[in-house]
Amino acid sequence: MSLYFDYQSSNPVDPRVIDAMIPYFNRKFGNPSSLHKEGDEATEILDRCRKSIAGFINAEKDEIVFTSGATESNNLSLIGFAFRNRARGNHIIISETEHISIHNIAKYLEKYRFRITKTPVDQYGRISIRKLEDRVDEETILVSVAYANNEIGTIQPISTIGTLCREKNIAFHSDAVAAEGLIPLDVKRDEVDLLTLSSNDIYGPKGVGVLYVRKGVRLNPLLIGGGQEHGLRSGTENIPGIVGMQKAVEIMQQEGEREVKRLTGYRNKLIKHVLEKIPKCYLNGHPTERLANNAHFRFDGIEGESLLLSLKDKGISVSTGSACSSKTLEPSHTLIALGLLHEEAHGSLEFTFGRFNKDEEVDRVLEVLSGVVARLRELSPLYR
Amino acid sequence: MKSTQYSDKVLDHFRNPRNVGTLEGQDVAVGRVGNPVCGDLMEIYIKVRDNVIEEIKFKTFGCGSAIATASMITELARGKTIDEALQISRKEVADELDGLPPVKMHCSNLAADALHNAIENYLSREKSAQKSLEKRRRLTKRIKGEKEFLHRGVYHELVDLSTLKGKRVLVLDRGATSIEVAIDLTGQTARVIFLTGSKEISAGPELKKSLKQSDVKILYESEILEIKGTNDVEKVLIHDLNEDEEYELFVDSIIMLQKRE
Repeated sequence: MSLYFDYQSSNPVDPRVIDAMIPYFNRKFGNPSSLHKEGDEATEILDRCRKSIAGFINAEKDEIVFTSGATESNNLSLIGFAFRNRARGNHIIISETEHISIHNIAKYLEKYRFRITKTPVDQYGRISIRKLEDRVDEETILVSVAYANNEIGTIQPISTIGTLCREKNIAFHSDAVAAEGLIPLDVKRDEVDLLTLSSNDIYGPKGVGVLYVRKGVRLNPLLIGGGQEHGLRSGTENIPGIVGMQKAVEIMQQEGEREVKRLTGYRNKLIKHVLEKIPKCYLNGHPTERLANNAHFRFDGIEGESLLLSLKDKGISVSTGSACSSKTLEPSHTLIALGLLHEEAHGSLEFTFGRFNKDEEVDRVLEVLSGVVARLRELSPLYR
Repeated sequence: MKSTQYSDKVLDHFRNPRNVGTLEGQDVAVGRVGNPVCGDLMEIYIKVRDNVIEEIKFKTFGCGSAIATASMITELARGKTIDEALQISRKEVADELDGLPPVKMHCSNLAADALHNAIENYLSREKSAQKSLEKRRRLTKRIKGEKEFLHRGVYHELVDLSTLKGKRVLVLDRGATSIEVAIDLTGQTARVIFLTGSKEISAGPELKKSLKQSDVKILYESEILEIKGTNDVEKVLIHDLNEDEEYELFVDSIIMLQKRE
């Protein structure tokens, strides 16, 4: 097996989560809508999971809506809110560095004559409150800014944004997928109205997510059917998945703090090594306000995909913001928003650490990385 | 098909590229092609004797297929006459590599273009000089938004550099003073970009050296077309004169000194 440093893309499910899920595939298979014993059991477990996950973000039980994952949560949040609240205004603000799903949802809403404004970030990826405020007008109904960026790991001043939005009576959505498990989430403290969570990002199964909807915030559903999830998300509940997500949350609550310390150690070790040992390379993102598991670099004169392929040959799995590895051949919009040139964005490499990384795996990266960079620079006309 | 699903042959040329390097001498010509949107840049060096490509080398900045196609074309072209080499097509390069992922066919398959460009340059060496003269003429144009953003991110005179702490600063080439300002600014912020219309920095050897050793990012053969923002400067539209392409760059401040030494 390769050494895996791409925890922002996909996580293995924790074995304890799998164990917790198994009974719910066959032995406890009831539908919460049924009135018999099996149905009652399912209602009870669904209720317990809802309460537990609500506690993870300091929400109330009834504010949790289960979805099929973060993409659906983002869709329900933005599209559901925009169409329901159109009478109040048609203007929505997102940041330049939002996840691609938010950017594409915004594009979709533009087709339905919603006005979308993007608020810029500084060279470290932090948004400016003043610039956000400059963009607010009487028509603004919703602001969407992620807790932390999934690529460069920059953490946003969420509670400041929350306070601003609350004062101006604008709803605030935050995609917390990159941040969950790494920084404490608190929807009351941070004055968040809508919050996206994913199960897989905390070592739960794929295909499960949550949208937190603050009491009083009104949304249109995207899926119409039997009226499950307070009518916001019809469809028979995915009980095994929800049980898995609950177990993942529980483990995170017990072990998260220790884990964050360990990941911070890996991150700092790698950053220190790379910046000291490899010439002409830079850290992308914020030096301190960054996720514990994220180290994101760019190397002058080389291109990310060839870097990625070279590391793949050495059994190391990482990610890049280079266009050449993307479907659209566009470089990462997040890196461009930092003020990077295309050629710089192409030379980027992202490491995200996770629960199952070991000390010696990180040491192996330190061993091979500078050699790989040197070889590609020898080929490059840009590095002389 | 994923953009990185490469054939064994592509991977072999990526891992063990043939004929890497540069050539020098009277009978050497260089072909240089690049597509900044896709992020590939390729240089092919040929040495021609008696109408035959005797030696060929390459340098590539780019993804796996960019490196592999360059390596492959050096193998294909060596020993061929100029006419034969001009017949080598993009498709032939891709075929010799047992194919490329479809998404890479147009943008990371520049090797044939680079070779043809090298041959063209060998046949008529004045051509490229003329081209850059034409482009240079555009530089005198006014910059849209310059007045609007004056003192809101745009500075015509020297300011207290500490006010630019942590900002992304673009310094336009206005001779030696502007170069010194750019170097000094690296003490205040991690992001300083020096933009010049020319191919090379024109300054004394000492200053030139310290600029190149500094963390200043240099943009050659470029000009600003427009400054944009909501209340103050947020981004600029840059024209790459060499590629004749336009792109946006996020910056916070622009220093454009008025007097030119």
